[in-house]
Amino acid sequence: MTTLLDGSAQAIAEAVRTGAAGAREIAEEALERIKSRNGALGAFTDVTATRALAKADAIDASRARGERLGPLAGAPFAVKNLFDIEGLPTRAGSKINRDRPPAKADATIIRRLEAAGAVLIGALNMGEYAYDFTGENAHDGPSRNPHDPERMTGGSSGGSAAALAGGLVPIALGSDTNGSIRVPSSLCGVFGLKPTYGRLSRVGVFPFVASLDHVGPLARSAADLALAYDAMLGRDEADPAQADMPAAPVSPALEQGANGLRIARLGGYFGGSADPGAIAAVDTLARALNAERTVELAHADAARSAAYLISMVEGAALHLDRLRTRRQDFDADVGDRLIAGAMLPGVWAAQAQKFRRRFRDEALRLFREVDILLAPATPCRAPKLGQKTFVLRGREMLVRPNLGLLTQPISFIGLPVVAAPVWTPGERLPIGVQIIAAPWREDLALRVAAALECEGVVRAPVAKYA
Amino acid sequence: MNEGARESFDPEALARAMAPLLGIAQPPESRAQTIVHLRIAAEHAERLLSVPLDDQEEPAPVFTP
Repeated sequence: MTTLLDGSAQAIAEAVRTGAAGAREIAEEALERIKSRNGALGAFTDVTATRALAKADAIDASRARGERLGPLAGAPFAVKNLFDIEGLPTRAGSKINRDRPPAKADATIIRRLEAAGAVLIGALNMGEYAYDFTGENAHDGPSRNPHDPERMTGGSSGGSAAALAGGLVPIALGSDTNGSIRVPSSLCGVFGLKPTYGRLSRVGVFPFVASLDHVGPLARSAADLALAYDAMLGRDEADPAQADMPAAPVSPALEQGANGLRIARLGGYFGGSADPGAIAAVDTLARALNAERTVELAHADAARSAAYLISMVEGAALHLDRLRTRRQDFDADVGDRLIAGAMLPGVWAAQAQKFRRRFRDEALRLFREVDILLAPATPCRAPKLGQKTFVLRGREMLVRPNLGLLTQPISFIGLPVVAAPVWTPGERLPIGVQIIAAPWREDLALRVAAALECEGVVRAPVAKYA
Repeated sequence: MNEGARESFDPEALARAMAPLLGIAQPPESRAQTIVHLRIAAEHAERLLSVPLDDQEEPAPVFTP
């Protein structure tokens, strides 16, 4: 049966505002769906039912009093389990963190979504300590791709994408250090927004690589991404990396569409690091947008390598004490990689940070000529669960570190990106395209995604259930 | 690091030398995987270091895109 939960947060909020549906009714249905579907999806690790029903009742009571409801009134959402939720230990996909005391407060952006009327319904599975592109988890089991449960969701925000494609919630939060929002968005066929580095508060979010960590929303429509993003905007002095930028909402701009924007596809590294299916998805968007130009972002391969090395070194520094004392409690795939990071020459990381500024300047030069860049989000569609390697253009490589090879150069310099899902006729699985804008121009990337969605070029359906 | 340097690079020796310095006890199967990642890191370093940077090029004190 198709219900409001299969639609958008925007539609749910409208129904709750007009009284066509109650927030409690929506929350109860979401909880019921989690109960019936989560065993097969492995999306949720914690369900906050009591809290969700109390919040939903408060929204219904507020409406009964004639009060104005927020733009996300009654819309259920869930968060990757590296976000602090008051009363729960923030596990960050690990066994070790379960020993931490319960969080004393919610992460800033959870509070902001709830202030807009959204209803937190639980925490979501993720790759251990976010060092993952597969969506597998050694402790909680894998999150499974709702479009084919034998395949990966992608990671590390795998549970976030599974919850959306599985129809459990219309909005989820994730984090993206090297691609952890965009990779699962691509493999599960949902929309994901990685905002500009320093845009949204990371307070109350378990870190991974401070130089590269971002947070953002995933959803099944561009409009829902925009609504969630708008609700989360705002200065948070407690985040040392957050920039003091005006909190300009993007939802009002979505209707402006893509006309007049200078759009090009990224060639070079981005064209040469993807399989034909990923390239065809970019072709589809380029045709729909009349984007005839191909441009090159020089040194993108070195940018990816720099992001890779910074992640190894900063990740290792973060976890060094735990590697010393609890190595056996790590997922071996994660722990051994972190140990390698602790052993690298410091000059590599220093050089990578110097190069980051150079590469940023090169990208800014490119954005004088174009407004939007298109690139594949992943090199291929979802691999099978348990698959350790894949072959790309004749070269065998490890899945876990390499599903993000096309997202890493972009997050390395913090550019805002919408990952938009493409369903190619004849294919059973989706694949995503990165719609990349200049720093602080999330509005442009979202406008393009919304225009493509309006034309049916990109879409994020809920997986079919019997 | 040039290609020749990478070829003569001995990640096992590095791992054996660094583990005690870091205070990490590593069984052989864990060390073997760490060695795989050290080799991959060396390839990335080679790619990164192939881009020349001037002495005056500094990292951003607080990175702003």
